[in-house]
Amino acid sequence: VPCVSGGLPKPTNITFLSINMKNTLQWNPPEGLQGVAVTYTVQYFIYGQKKWLNKSECRNINRTYCDLSAETSDYEHQYYAKVKATWGMNCSKWTETRRFYPFLETQIGPPEVALTTDEKSISIVLTAPEKWKKNPEDSSVSMQQIYSNLKYNVSIYNTKSNRTWSQCVANHTLVLSWLEPDTLYCVVVESIVPGPPRLAQPSEKQCVRTLKDQTSALKVK
Amino acid sequence: QFGPCRVEGVVLQKLWEAFRAVKDIVQAQDNITGVRLLRKEVLQNVSEAESCYLIHALLKFYLDTVFRNYRRKAAEFRILRSLSTLANNFIVIVSKLQLSQENKMFSTWESARKRFLLFQRAFKQLDREAAVTKAFGEVDILLTWMEKFQQL
Repeated sequence: VPCVSGGLPKPTNITFLSINMKNTLQWNPPEGLQGVAVTYTVQYFIYGQKKWLNKSECRNINRTYCDLSAETSDYEHQYYAKVKATWGMNCSKWTETRRFYPFLETQIGPPEVALTTDEKSISIVLTAPEKWKKNPEDSSVSMQQIYSNLKYNVSIYNTKSNRTWSQCVANHTLVLSWLEPDTLYCVVVESIVPGPPRLAQPSEKQCVRTLKDQTSALKVK
Repeated sequence: QFGPCRVEGVVLQKLWEAFRAVKDIVQAQDNITGVRLLRKEVLQNVSEAESCYLIHALLKFYLDTVFRNYRRKAAEFRILRSLSTLANNFIVIVSKLQLSQENKMFSTWESARKRFLLFQRAFKQLDREAAVTKAFGEVDILLTWMEKFQQL
């Protein structure tokens, strides 16, 4: 028996949260129905094609999010998604996202950062983040393969002098030279791609101490 | 660098920012979501040699047909500034895309022309105002394609 459409207010704030091409649709419950046993049904649409498509795993669900990564994995396409709420015999009208373009809108996650140090330098090795994959056993695709112009913004903080500086690098290795011996340095890295501005996710702050100056140690002996 | 044409001094970032400011307004006006003008067949696997002809034809079309006919609506929606930024930058690019006659390879030109005609035919099949709005809403697809050539 079809529900009474419009009998409920629509869900609100429907958006795609996209990180490394993991595209999750999320929304808020309808106004005034927080805590009520409302269920939701999601559909999605590929811009330029003809009909709305169902996402079977997101039919009559209780949660307020739905993973549409597989359905929106062709990142050169653009998409819409919509959700409606149902409670008893009543349901809301659909509420729809704006046009979603994964290639331009996905957040590029931070790279993996490996630091090694000696007296006056720190070597940094960066590994590009991986694209979302459907199955863990699927072969990995680096975001570098999708964005060949992927660069990194490396921020370095000298805890002794309280000074911070940053460098934009294109390749995966970077050596910071002329550092102070026996000093704690902290590093944070963000991935960046040209194109429209997009949110950046910084890496976890990592700190390393440069080695003591061996020459002064020898003189003391 | 678009194949045989070199374009210097063009900052795509300004174009991105201009379009981003109007994207949601313009795309929300496009109700014919079942049609995409800049389809994959138009822009995918374009050879370097073709790219100059295609970008020239597309930008000229956007200047002469899309932006020109969208001005009234842009004023209505108070987005004239973004429209002007896009148009002025497209004029600069087109002016720098001078393709010298001697290296105009007919077969490449023909292949690029077919791609452009795919786009233009789809445009003409729609109501004029709807087509202009849809084409403007697809500037992000066009800039994405241009950006890829800028990396080569």
